[in-house]
Amino acid sequence: MTKKLCIVFFLLLLISAGICGSGQAQDPQALVQASFDYYRGKASFATVDMTVHRPDWERVVTIKAWTKGQEESLFRIIAPPKDRDNGTLKKGREMWIFNPKVNRVIKLPPSMMSQSWMGSDFSNNDLAKSDSLIKDYSHSLIGTETHEGMKVYVIKSMPKPEAPVVWGMLELKIREDHIFLSQAFYDEDLQLVKIMTAHDIQMLGDRLFPKVWKMQKADAKDEYTELSYKELAFKDGLPEHLFTTSNLRNPRR
Amino acid sequence: MNVDVKMAWRNIWRNPRRSILTMTAIAFACLLLVFMLSFQFGSYDTMINSAVKIHTGHLQVQAEGYQDKRTMRLVVPDPGAIGSILEQTPGIDAYTYRANAFSLVSSEERTYGIVVIGIDPAREANVSTLKKVIRQGSYLSAEDTNQALLGELLAKNLQVGLGDELVMIGQGRDGSVAATVVEVKGTYNSGQDEFDRSSIHIPLKHFQDVYAMRGGVHEVVALGKSLGAIPAIRKAVAGSIENEDPKHVLVVLDWIDLMPGLIEGIKLDLISGLILYCILILVVAFSILNTFLMAVFERTKEFGVMMAIGTTPRRLTKLLLLESIAMTVIGIVVGIIAGCLITWYFQVHGIAISGMSEVVRQFGIPERMYPKLSFLSVTIGPTLVLFITSLTALYPALRVRRLRPVEALASV
Repeated sequence: MTKKLCIVFFLLLLISAGICGSGQAQDPQALVQASFDYYRGKASFATVDMTVHRPDWERVVTIKAWTKGQEESLFRIIAPPKDRDNGTLKKGREMWIFNPKVNRVIKLPPSMMSQSWMGSDFSNNDLAKSDSLIKDYSHSLIGTETHEGMKVYVIKSMPKPEAPVVWGMLELKIREDHIFLSQAFYDEDLQLVKIMTAHDIQMLGDRLFPKVWKMQKADAKDEYTELSYKELAFKDGLPEHLFTTSNLRNPRR
Repeated sequence: MNVDVKMAWRNIWRNPRRSILTMTAIAFACLLLVFMLSFQFGSYDTMINSAVKIHTGHLQVQAEGYQDKRTMRLVVPDPGAIGSILEQTPGIDAYTYRANAFSLVSSEERTYGIVVIGIDPAREANVSTLKKVIRQGSYLSAEDTNQALLGELLAKNLQVGLGDELVMIGQGRDGSVAATVVEVKGTYNSGQDEFDRSSIHIPLKHFQDVYAMRGGVHEVVALGKSLGAIPAIRKAVAGSIENEDPKHVLVVLDWIDLMPGLIEGIKLDLISGLILYCILILVVAFSILNTFLMAVFERTKEFGVMMAIGTTPRRLTKLLLLESIAMTVIGIVVGIIAGCLITWYFQVHGIAISGMSEVVRQFGIPERMYPKLSFLSVTIGPTLVLFITSLTALYPALRVRRLRPVEALASV
């Protein structure tokens, strides 16, 4: 799950900083770190449409997302009107949610971390443990492919012993320019559980970035969550007060 | 033949103490078996009926897949239609509607992820024991909106009391964020810890508003008049539901589908009971074998005399078998009669239970249990005893054929 988190992060957060290490990336560890830094940046601001698709049903939510570094992020729903101003704050591995109707900030208890985030195919853990991919897994290069004329590294990530992870194995595809193409999540029995893929790579903010991210369950073809970036800007920094529960409660912007 | 029977009868009473002891052992085994089996069978009915009354009911109508997935969108869209089918089905005692949502429930102090259940207060009272197990505060009334009942354990975990506010945040049927503030109106103790720790009840109307249910519910819960009638009712209800749209199929589940753990608990209890009975029967069998065998050894000289004056070994065997069968039958008859009397007494007055096993207790067994005499519970045990004792009696009866008259006469 932790890996998932990471992924989710980039999706939502789109950070700026970037392209560290655009140089050679034979070392898979460095490659993953570089890719992570590329999509997270130092800080970012984005507007994203999240589509939750089910066989008989679909729902679109528009979310504003701010991220800073690897640890902090803030999400706020701006549409549909019924759900406007519902927010989620993530700091380290803790999460808080805010609902304007009851006007309360609630810290998510550990028991809720495996639940779905806003009804999507992402779990709270995907968000809260987004840096786990870097911290808790060891990566090895298992092959290369090509994508739009560029080299793609296929990386297998196994959890480090004793690491508090949810997934038994991850398979990452990272393009040589550090763009994340996909991440597959396997359980302890190495069965595929879900897969996240990135599409529509184009200039967003100041860099090439996949506009659409899709999280798809392995056993249900018709069930997926799609994140589509409408707006993305990488920044050098964001004010610290943005990532506080009081800001979560009182949106200043 | 007549002479043999007479001889056997007299032989039995030649050593009354030994014979009475043997017969008492048999009678006691039968008595115990009759009582315990009746008790077990009776307790299962009580267990099931009290377990279904805590929450699940005998039958539920749900959208297909809801039982496993518990997804908000798998609803019974028109509960009224199911209600009128249940009205018309004979054997249904009461029914109610419920909707469930896994939500974040938060007090000032703590937050837990638990199931919020929307109930129809008036109907619920006829189906489940919820109204009767309220320990503090009061049950929901028809006018209540944002009032809630919660389990005592949950109230303790959340550190709330009557009148305190709880915030609930979950997801509505349409995927939107559902949030409301409710006031604690009462707490309950169902006896089933898991239930008391993980559920909160609010009025169905309010639930439907908050969770955007558009009139839908997740479960239509029904209680039958008797446990035995459930399969027939299930069939009748399933037959009446018109599933026109193959994408939204409604299914009827019975208590076994709804509470697989309960039937497992019963099986476990039955098996541990059976092991106990086998040991009991074995002990009885050995003590009977002992007395039968001693009877032959003691009477070796007597048999020698009989053989010397021309009794065939076959006739001796027959005699011995007659003796043991007579004792067994007397023992069994006495055992059944005494067993039935004792069981019947408790069937009328009930037995106070304090130390039931945990497996059974979590399903909320009432304080008094009533054994239930039935043809099966009265006959199974004694039949087994008859069978085992007859087998046991064969050994000494056949052994007597190996006696040599001269040697037998010489023994003391």
